[in-house]
Amino acid sequence: MAEDFKEMPNNPLEHDKYAPKEFKVLGRRGITRIDGYKKAAGKAIYTRDIQLPGMLYAKFLTSPYPNARISKMDTSKAENLPGVRAVLRYDDPEVFGRRVVTTYGGCEDMLAGYAYFEGQQIGAVVAADTEQIAREALKLIDVEWDVRPFVLDPEGALRSGAPLARPEWADNNLNEVPPSPLSEVFRIGNVEAAFEQADKVIEFKAVRRYHGGADTELPCGIVRWEGDCLELWLHHQHPYEHKWTMHKYLGVPMNKIKVNAPYNGGMYGGWNWIAYSQIATGITAILAKRTARPVKWVFDRREDFVFGSADAMVTYFKVGANKDGTISSVKLKSFYENTGFWAETHLLENTRIPNIEAENVTARVNKGPTIALRCEQLPGCFVMAHVFNHVAAELDMDPTEVALKNDGAEGKDINYLNKFKRKHGFPLRDSLRECIEAGKKAIGWDKKWHPAGAKELPNGKMHGMGFIWSHEWDDNRGAGVAGVFIQQDGSANIVAFRTDIGVNAETTYCQVVAEELGMKFEDVFFRQQDDVYLPLMTPDGSCNLTTNSYVLRKAARKAKRRLLELATTEVHLIERNIAPAFPGMQPEDLEVKGSEIFVKSDPSKRKKIAEVVKDMDGSMNWGLEYAAIQCTTHAPVFAWAYHRQGRYGTEPGRHRLCRQAHFCEIEVDTETGKIEIKKIVNVNDVGKALSPEAVEGQQYGGTYMGIGRNLNEEYVWDPCSGVLLNGNLLEYKWATMLDIGEIETIIVETGMGYGPYGTVGIGEDVATITTYLLESAVFNAIGKWIDDGPITPDKVLKALGKA
Amino acid sequence: MEQDKYLCPYCLITFESIQDLRRHIVAEHKTEPLPVSEGQIKLTINGEDYQIRVEPEWTLYYLLHDKLGFTGTKMFCDRGACGSCTVIMDGRPILSCMTLAIECDGKHIETIEGIAKKEHPLIEEYVKYHCMQCGYCTPGFIVTAKALLDRNPKPTEEEVKEALAGNLCRCGTYPQHLKAVLVASQKLAKHGR
Amino acid sequence: MKRFAHLNARTLDEAVLYLRRYGGRAKIIAGGTDVLGRMKDEIVPTYPEALINIKTIPGLDFIEEREGSLKIGALTKLEDIARHPVIKAKFSALAEAARRTASPHIREMGTIAGNICQDIRCWYYRAPNNRFPCLRKGGGRCYAIEGDNRYHSIFGASVDGGCLAVHPSDIAPALIALDAKIRTSERKIKAEHFFEVGVCKTNVLEEDEIVTEIEISQPPVGSKSAFIKFAARETIDFPVVNCAATIVGSEGTVQAARICLNAVYLKPYRVTSAEQAIIGKTISDNSVEDAGIEAVRQAKPLARNTYMVQIARTLVKRAVLACG
Ligand SMILES: Cc1cc2nc3c(=O)[nH]c(=O)nc-3n(C[C@@H](O)[C@@H](O)[C@H](O)COP(=O)(O)OP(=O)(O)OC[C@H]3O[C@@H](n4cnc5c(N)ncnc54)[C@H](O)[C@@H]3O)c2cc1C
Ligand code: SF4
Ligand code: FES
Ligand code: FES
Repeated sequence: MAEDFKEMPNNPLEHDKYAPKEFKVLGRRGITRIDGYKKAAGKAIYTRDIQLPGMLYAKFLTSPYPNARISKMDTSKAENLPGVRAVLRYDDPEVFGRRVVTTYGGCEDMLAGYAYFEGQQIGAVVAADTEQIAREALKLIDVEWDVRPFVLDPEGALRSGAPLARPEWADNNLNEVPPSPLSEVFRIGNVEAAFEQADKVIEFKAVRRYHGGADTELPCGIVRWEGDCLELWLHHQHPYEHKWTMHKYLGVPMNKIKVNAPYNGGMYGGWNWIAYSQIATGITAILAKRTARPVKWVFDRREDFVFGSADAMVTYFKVGANKDGTISSVKLKSFYENTGFWAETHLLENTRIPNIEAENVTARVNKGPTIALRCEQLPGCFVMAHVFNHVAAELDMDPTEVALKNDGAEGKDINYLNKFKRKHGFPLRDSLRECIEAGKKAIGWDKKWHPAGAKELPNGKMHGMGFIWSHEWDDNRGAGVAGVFIQQDGSANIVAFRTDIGVNAETTYCQVVAEELGMKFEDVFFRQQDDVYLPLMTPDGSCNLTTNSYVLRKAARKAKRRLLELATTEVHLIERNIAPAFPGMQPEDLEVKGSEIFVKSDPSKRKKIAEVVKDMDGSMNWGLEYAAIQCTTHAPVFAWAYHRQGRYGTEPGRHRLCRQAHFCEIEVDTETGKIEIKKIVNVNDVGKALSPEAVEGQQYGGTYMGIGRNLNEEYVWDPCSGVLLNGNLLEYKWATMLDIGEIETIIVETGMGYGPYGTVGIGEDVATITTYLLESAVFNAIGKWIDDGPITPDKVLKALGKA
Repeated sequence: MEQDKYLCPYCLITFESIQDLRRHIVAEHKTEPLPVSEGQIKLTINGEDYQIRVEPEWTLYYLLHDKLGFTGTKMFCDRGACGSCTVIMDGRPILSCMTLAIECDGKHIETIEGIAKKEHPLIEEYVKYHCMQCGYCTPGFIVTAKALLDRNPKPTEEEVKEALAGNLCRCGTYPQHLKAVLVASQKLAKHGR
Repeated sequence: MKRFAHLNARTLDEAVLYLRRYGGRAKIIAGGTDVLGRMKDEIVPTYPEALINIKTIPGLDFIEEREGSLKIGALTKLEDIARHPVIKAKFSALAEAARRTASPHIREMGTIAGNICQDIRCWYYRAPNNRFPCLRKGGGRCYAIEGDNRYHSIFGASVDGGCLAVHPSDIAPALIALDAKIRTSERKIKAEHFFEVGVCKTNVLEEDEIVTEIEISQPPVGSKSAFIKFAARETIDFPVVNCAATIVGSEGTVQAARICLNAVYLKPYRVTSAEQAIIGKTISDNSVEDAGIEAVRQAKPLARNTYMVQIARTLVKRAVLACG
């Protein structure tokens, strides 16, 4: 039988042609999540919980200054403190002058002798018997600092005469190291000509302040040497990648590295995503070697505040629009802090705006790195939200109308997109219209929306309605490997390695395999943390389900074929032959459902999978009832598959077809500046919801994260010293349960995703887009723009002329 | 680290052992021996008795999580601002990161492990309503909710919200908790505990 | 946390003795929610040598009505105060202040005495490892004045003309509005006179003095009290501004008023000018407007906190209205 499974799209631009007509397991509610009990009962183990015998704790020295070099460092007192087992210094031979390539782009010092932001982990690392001793030892390190001037704002950093933010490795403050875009101007069409023609041209500026501080479990990792083998326990989003980086840093062959990926507390990109924390593990490996002990590196909460989201930015806008609501041209100039992304992406991928010009300038400043932190598309959402908000207001139009007028892709309108859908086999649905209609109904938009500043409530507060939209994160890309193994009792395992970040993936993957193999959900199990060497896509972007489900589907279908072959093939033992479970049949004659194999033409002839796969000879002919322990009469049912989906989602002409729309109703207290969120409606066209509860979880969760950022989250640095002032969870304010009155979630399933079964990812998008939901609502309430996130009460009062 | 010296609070002379200090205080200061914490504490955790020597600076979180292996108790903030380290002490939901272990002598403590062992309906409902994503905050929420239901078996939605308002969930699972706690309370009412 | 000695006091005298012996190098621990945070971050150069646990002293955790007044033991938890039916009915400003303090868990641990004795929250002062050795730690300068002062005083500075840190308590203004008295191991002090600013000091207590009880006289007939808090989030957060008010004669014209703001100045800030503005008037949208204006007439906001003036003015109005 042919090995090759063609039941996958060969063309990454095409709709999944091979989805079943009806679903038994996928898309069902009420399926018990695999991690549920463990997490609820406190049984789920996280890296932070793990202690190994003889384990030491490693802590890093942090810089008290935002821009400084160590001119002298005396570690002798620290080394002499009882309980200290090793001190690694930046000038030790293992690390001195060593710059390592990171998997994220650019280079970092393995252990720098200088700092470019306050709180940076540099200079020295102590390994000691307890965390407390390590902390005390750090205080005993005498450092003479060469303190240098610093710069915090990106525009200031690019003015002439500004202090150099990275004097060690850059002689200017312009950052064009990937993933930051080059500062060359992006153009489609001709914006200037379009401004001439436009009915209205508006100009404004918007700001988003640096935020981040995401994780729940504090950063940490454990390293143990077992001879020349390296074993790691990682609180990290990319565990498999560590094999590569550790191989590079330490010269250990990848086949001698074992990675354990326990559950992760939080994980939204950010710190645990970037190479920076891989370096911490590399450093710890050096300490573990020196001390011949397992070593765990740990950060405390303050030390976790070292990175931010990639939308720390300022953008200058010029927008041309016509009276009918069509936007004709947009010109942008954005300044980013430390890492830039392409601000025009959402305008490009979502709209028919034919003329766009964008300049993305990234400045190095003396703050921690900014990074994809749920997620790199924040700048795109930031820009798109502001453009649409201002156009609708300027034209006195309902913003949902303006959205529909401009829906499209790459400068072309919805008719073009519809042609594309038809050509590539997608259902012909109008995603944005469906989302907007459902959302408007749920929030009562037609009754409640009003011109800006027009509705004062009886309680004296101003009433506002907000709206935001964009495409879904159809980032269907990447590659993975996985196997499906059927045990002799008929239960199946997924054989693959990845890490958990809480999106219910363990369960959903089992659903895919159960569905495709015809098994009951309960009969399939996945413990994704085991290092079985086959890396599935690890949580990355919003594409693990969309890519990994292809992988698993392929593996499951292969396994099913094997299973049916086994059911129809005679087994030859030395002295006798054993007849197949279904004699005289071909695999094509059989079907599998509910963990039973039956004859298609006579379903009454059926056998449980367990009966078919069990050892046929009763354990080496001993006549025992249990399955073979030492060996088996036949090859186990095992199949593995690899699938690569496209070219990282960057195939030319690949348009995003599913849309999302979010609505909110707020009240603004004009006497205090307080914004009260009464209701939020999330509408997401996820193509196909494979686990509806998990989708809702992402809608709720993303909304809380987004709204928390929109209302409160920002890092505050002391302008005079460059020291972070609010590096704790009291003053860096995550959303609480009381911050949103009510959330209503709506799932739209148009089937227009590139993923298997027509699905798209949802892990990042709600949090990303709702970070900019309130701008429009606040404008609708008070008639003033506050284009400066987070929208705190002081800004509201200022806009109202009361502060 | 051992406590190396025992200090007389009246005259600041130090002694090598607690017995010496006792003798000195009775003789010199004519008073009963001081209840200087020797660091020996007895406490009940999930119905079982423990006797353990603790250092003054150990938090209850450290004792439970790092020393006794009750790793279900989690820690986000270590400063009293998140609720993830909640345990029930003598009926109150308290923060183990802001409690000194040495002050828990004679206390009754209930952790998530104890609640799970009792098969409290909260656990089942939390799983059913997907109240977890990463799961790192989940034990803190359940312990807090358990303390609420112990005191107020039939809370209103508002009361549940108020009780859980000190627990942060970065994954934003908040709305799901309300349903789970309310259903669990109905189950308790039906089946007793 | 760094090492310290820990002593369980069995009686008040014992606790006082310990304090005296340690001469300022020991600290009392009640609920611990404030003092442990301070110690974990090692914000001041002087780490306490010892913590004196007063939770082992019997008889300091009570709420009673005795001799015509309400008495609350120093160790009473804020949650118990917030839920107490008598306090809710007759001393609503206090019940509400307790209900709005911090988070449910902190209220289950934090005590009333600990709340009024808590340290300031200025983020320069609180920065870990004594990063900013400012005036309040005996240092040479204030860092907030040129720095980020969005949560600092709107009524000027003190400690040799420098410190701008506000008093963060939610309970303090309620006690002042209710004209409470604070009984200590030494004396009885009016709540209003309890707060005092100095180096590592937020109140008048001597080094060896311990708060034992809060006493509040029965409110006069026809009086009402209220408390309003404004914070960034509805829970966990300290106040940006709060306000407590007691109004006597709320039915008709106001005969007497006590209005106290907090988190706006170094100490709880009683706004007598606002009280004057409302006395003799009936409570109405207009009259409270005047009280609000009067309350902030003396305000001298800093570069980043003018918004607090508006909020303070609003809270004064609303607190008085809530007594109507
Ligand atoms: C996350 C968080 C949020 C908070 N939010 C708020 C808020 O919104 N509003 C608010 O008002 N507070 C808030 N707090 C402060 C909180 O610590 C207090 O509200 C609490 O009441 C303090 O009481 P405690 O018993 O825990 O004090 P402790 O920490 O035990 O003591 C505080 C101080 O008072 C001294 N002390 C204690 N008892 C006595 C006594 N009887 N006599 C003399 N001195 C004594 C101690 O030596 C110490 O210096 C918050 C704290 C945290 C950690
Ligand atoms: S405001 Fe006061 S506490 Fe804050 S830095 Fe200035 S002097 Fe120190
Ligand atoms: S870890 Fe204890 S409250 Fe946050
Ligand atoms: S489930 Fe992740 S923090 Fe709550």
